[in-house]
Amino acid sequence: MSSEQLDTATDRQLVRAAKTGDKAAFTSLVRRYEETVYRFSFKMCRDREKAEETLQDTFVNVYRKLGTFDGKSKFSTWLYAIVTNNCLMKQRRRKMQDLEDPLEEYDDPPGTDSSRRRSSARWDETPADQLITKELRSLLDRAIDSLPVDYRVVFVLRDVEGRSNEETAKILHLSVEATKSRLRRARAFLRDKLHPYMTSRERERR
Amino acid sequence: MTCKKTYRYICDNLDERLDSPRCRQIRQHLENCPKCRAYLDSIKKTVALYKAGIAPDIPASAHRRLMKTIDTEMSHLQKSPARRSPQTGRR
Repeated sequence: MSSEQLDTATDRQLVRAAKTGDKAAFTSLVRRYEETVYRFSFKMCRDREKAEETLQDTFVNVYRKLGTFDGKSKFSTWLYAIVTNNCLMKQRRRKMQDLEDPLEEYDDPPGTDSSRRRSSARWDETPADQLITKELRSLLDRAIDSLPVDYRVVFVLRDVEGRSNEETAKILHLSVEATKSRLRRARAFLRDKLHPYMTSRERERR
Repeated sequence: MTCKKTYRYICDNLDERLDSPRCRQIRQHLENCPKCRAYLDSIKKTVALYKAGIAPDIPASAHRRLMKTIDTEMSHLQKSPARRSPQTGRR
């Protein structure tokens, strides 16, 4: 492919060319998605070095497995499945205990008889992005770090990356129902971690 | 529509303003239930905070290393396809 063709080619066209041994086409795919893969990996592992390691492993895997990509799903969905798998493998090696915590208590709303969770008192206005303080940034990091990885991945794919329930389910080989259930629990878990900070009485005490 | 059901479905739908009978019931419940309204609001704010969270741009050094790895991988695989493990191609 010429450099002009590379710029305007669809993912599908680049994949087809790369499969026939067109190195420039594969490099073009890498350039197109390296930022997405790096940022997603960072959001998952919260660590620059691990994100870079995942970035490298992911594209090596993509190159080696390209022949098995049948084009039934979007290239980006297939890529997300590979990078997600790499992230999960790394995380699981570190935190096996995550798998033992199903977060069932987040199935009920807070403040009900069946829930031990904190009440649903109103939150203050959230600060605009540029006003996120160091303290809040660190709280956000700690909260998502403590979210078991099988839930974190659903939250990041759905709410941060903006993938649909259906695509997230496909990436993770889950049913749509299981995806929704994990998302609900993940959102509730994170919300509860931020709750003390976001209610004014608690914040004034600081 | 109970608080428990609302809790379950607002989380599925969040900002998707679906016009199904269930969503209409949820909206009706939310109008009359300050507790559920506050909860939905806090969930939306949680998502917004994480969405606004900054992920760093890919460092130039990481980009260079990646290109080098890919280049090596492409020439090696052409010589001996499907022989190497994912770790061997790394820096």
